[in-house]
Amino acid sequence: MSFAKPTTLSREQVAEFEREVNTIRDGVMNNLGQADVDHIRGMVRISRASEIGGRALLHFGLGPLSWLAGVLALASAKILDNMEIGHNVMHGQYDWTGDPALNSQTFEWDIACDGEQWRHSHNVIHHTYTNILGKDRDLGYSLLRMTDEQKWKPRHWFQPLANLMLAMGFQYGVGSHDLEIGRYKHGVMPKAEFKARLDRFLTKVGKVWFKDYLLFPALALWSAPRVLAGNFCANLIRNLWTYLIIFCGHFTEGVAIYCEEDTRDETRGDWYIRQLSGSSNLTGGRLFHTMSGHLSHQIEHHLFPDMPAHRYPEVAPQIQALCRKYGLFYNTGSLFRQYLTVMKRILTYTLPPKRLPV
Amino acid sequence: MQSSHASVSHTAVHRFAHAMNSPLVKALRHPWVESIVRLSAVEDALKCLHPLLSLTSVRARVVGILDETATTKTFVLQPNALWAGAHAGQFVRVQLEINGRRVERSYSLSSRSGARRIAFTVKRQDYGLVSQHLHRTVCVGDVLTISQALGEFVLPDALPAKLLLLSAGSGITPVMSMLRDLQSCNYRGDAVFLHVCRSSDDLIFAAQLQALATEFSCMRLVLHYDASAGLFSPQLLAQHVPDLSERDTWMCGPAGFMDAISMYWDAQYLGAALFSERFVATPILPSTAPGTAVAVSFANSGFTFTTRGTDPLLVQAERAGLTPKHGCRIGICRSCQCVKTSGTVENLQTGEVSSAPNELIRLCISTARSDVALAL
Repeated sequence: MSFAKPTTLSREQVAEFEREVNTIRDGVMNNLGQADVDHIRGMVRISRASEIGGRALLHFGLGPLSWLAGVLALASAKILDNMEIGHNVMHGQYDWTGDPALNSQTFEWDIACDGEQWRHSHNVIHHTYTNILGKDRDLGYSLLRMTDEQKWKPRHWFQPLANLMLAMGFQYGVGSHDLEIGRYKHGVMPKAEFKARLDRFLTKVGKVWFKDYLLFPALALWSAPRVLAGNFCANLIRNLWTYLIIFCGHFTEGVAIYCEEDTRDETRGDWYIRQLSGSSNLTGGRLFHTMSGHLSHQIEHHLFPDMPAHRYPEVAPQIQALCRKYGLFYNTGSLFRQYLTVMKRILTYTLPPKRLPV
Repeated sequence: MQSSHASVSHTAVHRFAHAMNSPLVKALRHPWVESIVRLSAVEDALKCLHPLLSLTSVRARVVGILDETATTKTFVLQPNALWAGAHAGQFVRVQLEINGRRVERSYSLSSRSGARRIAFTVKRQDYGLVSQHLHRTVCVGDVLTISQALGEFVLPDALPAKLLLLSAGSGITPVMSMLRDLQSCNYRGDAVFLHVCRSSDDLIFAAQLQALATEFSCMRLVLHYDASAGLFSPQLLAQHVPDLSERDTWMCGPAGFMDAISMYWDAQYLGAALFSERFVATPILPSTAPGTAVAVSFANSGFTFTTRGTDPLLVQAERAGLTPKHGCRIGICRSCQCVKTSGTVENLQTGEVSSAPNELIRLCISTARSDVALAL
């Protein structure tokens, strides 16, 4: 995996590409309406019902089957809340509705990541500087080495293990992401700033722990261990699922990585091409797309981060046709195939480079 | 009247304040409680139980819809317990969701002070999104969300001996409410009510006015129909009401009508006070050519700067020494999103020019095309 080759498209072609992508965008954004609000409110209702059902099964159910059903229901509730609702609402996909419950700047979700810190690390940093090495902090999450251009250090021997830990505790990885510990350690971030960010993160962790590991188990009285274990497993399933989907969005084979100099005088068209080349899709059915928060359409999401996500399947064929027309690579595949290439990359870059870069 | 006002609204306001600050709502708003159960979830659950149930918002059931004229309808509402009552002349903001978008419009109440059932009257505008929706889709039994009563257009506690109520078109609604109050508090002074409309077919509350004119002897009713008596002018007002300078006046009507009266008032140095209610939406400022000097005001911090040019508002604000919150600066992250309370802006990415009040804009991709007020 190396830096993206400069595009072979002429400036005129890039400008034309930009116009065509804008037209696709306008086609959807100019006809947002009741169906979109109904969709997201339906998701909110399903998520709430699933959480109530899941917690009820964990609290009042008997036997291991009801426990398992409770865990799965609670995990689904959290997955929906985090992905199809939280992630998408916080992108401002429903700000046009004027409903305060769907406002991007005030939404909070059920995960150990503070909403405000997420809006910074994800919406501001990741979506603006997607796949620019040294700028996009999602590239390997400051933990994994994903490309030749990242310097190999002895700690990368433990990369497969680090990857597993990150997958299991993904909510803490995402939650602590905006702390920018590296910048603090190198003295770039003042201590007061770091302390404020750390407090915010720990407060949010406190809230989710209080809820899942103290309050609800305590309410269950003698069933406390059953509820505690159930909540833990639901969180674990959510962590693994979100990790899986998100890693398949940018770390698959064939995803381009950029260096800062190449993106200096970017036009909107160049930006579209970088978003397209820096993302990869997953194929699947409607349920799969919904449970992934439509991040299975990572390409469309990166082109149009504030378009209601359930519209991505509708624009995907148009984007794919555009890619064929301009000879651009539209990276898509099954979850299994795409994740296999992610693992291949993680394992490949565990090893030190065979020869030192000149 | 004072006493009835005071008792009704005092207990009602108290009740409302109590509800908003009740330990329950306070607790539900606490961030640690919100992380367990969201207030929006509680509200939705209550709404499922009963459509009027709410801890935080006034909801009202439509219990009657009356056809006043061919283009106006009166909606009679039964509000929930959070309704804190209204003074005659006040208005409410009615909140509707039309095709997924939340919109609000202000309507003056025509019901008397302290009424348990409240009413507002809506004229159907040819291109009015909300008035068309209210006329076509809202039925008896529907539930609307409304604000508490707002506005300063009310009669004083100590009523003057002589007064004039002046209205035109659908501006009659708050004035009707005042008339009902005057009657119910047995006003013994000398009131003139002059109303202007196109013809008798366009007269809202015709039957009630007729009844009022016979029952309420302290009021002299003057109806002016433009179609038969010629276009109304302030000079005609002086003919109808010769002792104009002795009458404190409350007026409500179309902007042109009220502007003409105000100018006349000033030109004639009339000694009486003139109170008015502008019931039309805030005037939309026409967009100026790019590069014209415009004033940008940050309403919450009280900062105003003048700028010209087509740079984004974010850049202009920074140049003026302000530091609004921002992120990507290319319209992606929405960190700089804020409410534009009034003014016209252009979206630099789509070229769309919009003048809607209270609309969310992104400072980094919006440029001012008129004077702009931001809730920052």
